[in-house]
Amino acid sequence: MATDTAAPQIDVAPPRGWRTWFTQENIITTIVGLIVAVAVIVPLVALVINSFLVLDDLGFDTEWGLQNYRDIFHGHVIRKALVNTAIISTGCTILATLLGVSLAWINARTNCPFREQLEPFNLIPFFLSPFVGAIAWHNLASPKVGLINNMAKTAFGIDFPLFNVNNLWGVIWVTGIFFAPLVYLFVVGSLRRMDPSLEDSARTTGAGLFRTTMTITLPLVTPAILSGAIIVFVTTAGEFGVPFKLSAPFGWETLTTQIFTKAVGDDANHYLGAAMSMVVGVVTAFFIWIQHRIIAPRSYTTVTGKGFRPNLIDLGRWRWLAFAYNLSYVCVAVFLPIICLFFVSLHKIWSGRIIWSELTFWNYQKVLFFWWPESIQAATNGIINSFILAFGGASIAMVVAIIVSYMIHRTKGFGARLLDFLSVIPIGFPGIVLAMGVLVTYIRTPIYATLWILLLGYITRFFPYGQRNISSIMMAVSEELDQSSRMAGASWLTTLRRITIPLLKPGIFAGWILLFVIFLRELSISIILYSAGTETLSVGVYYLSNFENEPMTSALSIAQTVALLICIVIFRKVAGKEALTA
Amino acid sequence: MSENNYLQVDHLVKYFGDDRAVDGISFGIPEGKFLTLLGPSGCGKTTTLMCIAGLHKPDAGEIRIGSDPVTSIEKRINTAPEKRNIGMVFQSYAIWPHMDVTQNVAYPLEIRNMAQSEIDDRVAEALKIVGLTDMADKNATQLSGGQQQRAALARAMVFRPRLLLFDEPLSNLDLKLREQMRVELKRIQHEIGITSIYVTHDQAEALVMSDEIIVMSKGHIEQTGGPHNIYARPVNRFVSNFIGVANLTEGRIVGNGGGGAGAIEISQGGESVQLPCLLADGLSEGDDAYLSVRPENVDASRKPMDGPRIEGEVIQSVFLGNCLDCRVKWGEFEWKVLAHSRERLRVGEKVYVRLDPDHTLAVRP
Repeated sequence: MATDTAAPQIDVAPPRGWRTWFTQENIITTIVGLIVAVAVIVPLVALVINSFLVLDDLGFDTEWGLQNYRDIFHGHVIRKALVNTAIISTGCTILATLLGVSLAWINARTNCPFREQLEPFNLIPFFLSPFVGAIAWHNLASPKVGLINNMAKTAFGIDFPLFNVNNLWGVIWVTGIFFAPLVYLFVVGSLRRMDPSLEDSARTTGAGLFRTTMTITLPLVTPAILSGAIIVFVTTAGEFGVPFKLSAPFGWETLTTQIFTKAVGDDANHYLGAAMSMVVGVVTAFFIWIQHRIIAPRSYTTVTGKGFRPNLIDLGRWRWLAFAYNLSYVCVAVFLPIICLFFVSLHKIWSGRIIWSELTFWNYQKVLFFWWPESIQAATNGIINSFILAFGGASIAMVVAIIVSYMIHRTKGFGARLLDFLSVIPIGFPGIVLAMGVLVTYIRTPIYATLWILLLGYITRFFPYGQRNISSIMMAVSEELDQSSRMAGASWLTTLRRITIPLLKPGIFAGWILLFVIFLRELSISIILYSAGTETLSVGVYYLSNFENEPMTSALSIAQTVALLICIVIFRKVAGKEALTA
Repeated sequence: MSENNYLQVDHLVKYFGDDRAVDGISFGIPEGKFLTLLGPSGCGKTTTLMCIAGLHKPDAGEIRIGSDPVTSIEKRINTAPEKRNIGMVFQSYAIWPHMDVTQNVAYPLEIRNMAQSEIDDRVAEALKIVGLTDMADKNATQLSGGQQQRAALARAMVFRPRLLLFDEPLSNLDLKLREQMRVELKRIQHEIGITSIYVTHDQAEALVMSDEIIVMSKGHIEQTGGPHNIYARPVNRFVSNFIGVANLTEGRIVGNGGGGAGAIEISQGGESVQLPCLLADGLSEGDDAYLSVRPENVDASRKPMDGPRIEGEVIQSVFLGNCLDCRVKWGEFEWKVLAHSRERLRVGEKVYVRLDPDHTLAVRP
């Protein structure tokens, strides 16, 4: 009997073969991992260092100190901006959560009519630019030039402005309706995949429909709601375009608009800007950490492998009310803004009324015809640059995303854990904060004032979105599919090319288009990092809004919106309906 | 002996964090044989297989195939998995869903840059052996579990690898299909004659298919031997308990008659009894040991029988047709007994239990 229970205990201090380390896999993943680590960590470190440098009164020299932070918490203007940011973020989170949860419930769990037709429209604001939304609502509901206010005046003789969005409420309103889809996306997936027996068993104990919804259904999706709410809070805190357009010109500054004034312009003070970015970044990173570590892991596993068909609640006559509610949301978030912008863009001068006899496409010539000497450079440059950045950025970011996902899910050890961590960090910092870090890092290098610095900022901030797209598929695809290719004699690269990437194809396409959309409308990174000649589409809109007029601004906004809408159609074709509902 | 082995694993160690998943095991297998690594989950069997495949790098030890040292941590050798020329069938089958059956099976041959005509011939031959000729053009996702299993096997053997590795390949099939595939797998392995290593936690699978079984637990080898040997002569409590059903109770060796025969004393409720038994290797008089006897080697009857007397009460009696599955309570211990059905033992009856001395074992704790 050949037993081996008495195998000698071997003390393992094995000499590691350094030559065996140089495999295709190790070389490529290490290089990409290091690049990602440098790209993510260096700007944040630079931000921390610069925030402790205080500019002297002459503006030439710096010394170490805490004066920047003292300015933030004691200086009158900045402290007010801090308070405004908190008010806006809180208000927007409440509004977006109410809208998102109610719309998700109506679409996923009731017999609301036409809900399948409405669903894609509910998601459109997710893809559009909130900055453009703010411009549209400025033209719809500002006291003097607001279309709605003027129509109310004409039709009902209402003398005073019915609505006024040029204040904090306006910012909350626009960000709320634009970020509602974030909550919607978090919640609708959980609602759809919920095991109906959870609710059925409540019904059998005697709980009514309303009671079951309140005591079983909603509590079960609470983690999803909280996750969505936190993401909205953080996104709003970092939102630049909406407060910049609506509230800042009327005295309600936020931290982001203040950071902007410290980054560019006559009043520039990068060190103070860095300190303000730190304040925003610490808060948002803390909330994202809470979401990641505490809320996301508590998501109740109501999801099993089975394809559930959740119970639909018969709303009776109330279903038309639900329909009207959903339709109004789509109107205020999608139709009204786009229609308004379109009409504004057809006027040479906008006075708050549609003058049918004076409609013209002249503005479109000014902002689109880049070959025309009279075209506005900032706009035409912006279009070309944004397409270059979106195409190049999405492509490079997806390559990074594939390799990073591969490392996180297919390798073990320190590198995998580090990358997992590194690919959460950029999500925790708003674009404007990260851009501030990129700015202070690279301002003295040759890439400053080129498209490269924008590309770097875009990819660093947004590759995690692509990485999540890839990771969700990679987790569903068994590692054994890769391993069996290795066993069949294929090298690591061949396996990547012939097995891994083909299996990830749907995720790669979906991620690419998502990033393309994000880059095409990106504002808060671009506004910090652009310089003359490297404007982007949203910077072009900003330029027109600041230095030209509303109709021209609207024309470029419509051009951007049309490009984004085309991308949405392609995205739904490629990725399928469920792609976003994580 | 180790020189004759086609595959030789020596002092293999693999850590996961601080956990010593494989704890310095050594074994070998002659060419053309079918070896099974058997053990509960977490015993290190799959890790061992992964080390042989090259998908995991061990922390110490050596692996040799033929005269080729594919892994030797000491000599800093760790051949990449694709260079080892080993076929592997995975638990999930790992049939690539973006290719059809033919493309799946042809893949290893394409990697080896074979001529298309040869690829066609070999794929056809492999599909014939596994009985999938009709399915050649089907997409992988259209195959049933059993068919995917066969396709995975065809893909693993089509390039005539030096070794075939199986990682619990039947665990995802339903019972009926599993029993059918056991026989089928064994037939195919025999037909193509490739040295094979099979990992499973299912003892029935191991007993049916293997030439040799290695029982593992907690990263150690508990016992190595042929299926009959493992079943009839477990050497310790773990193997006795893991393979089949056994009556196991603590005791002490009280006699050693030489030639492996001896006696063990067991006690319950102040009553002790000495039973003649076969001693496992390494046990001698005075040692603590376990009595191990299979239910089919235990009889119960109303009349006292010869030899040591164990008297108990029937607490369960289930009629199975050819026999009675009984539990007889003796002190705190319950004897599992497969009794003659003509005995018609009823619950509550006093009976005498008799152990077949030729199949009563004293095993290491």
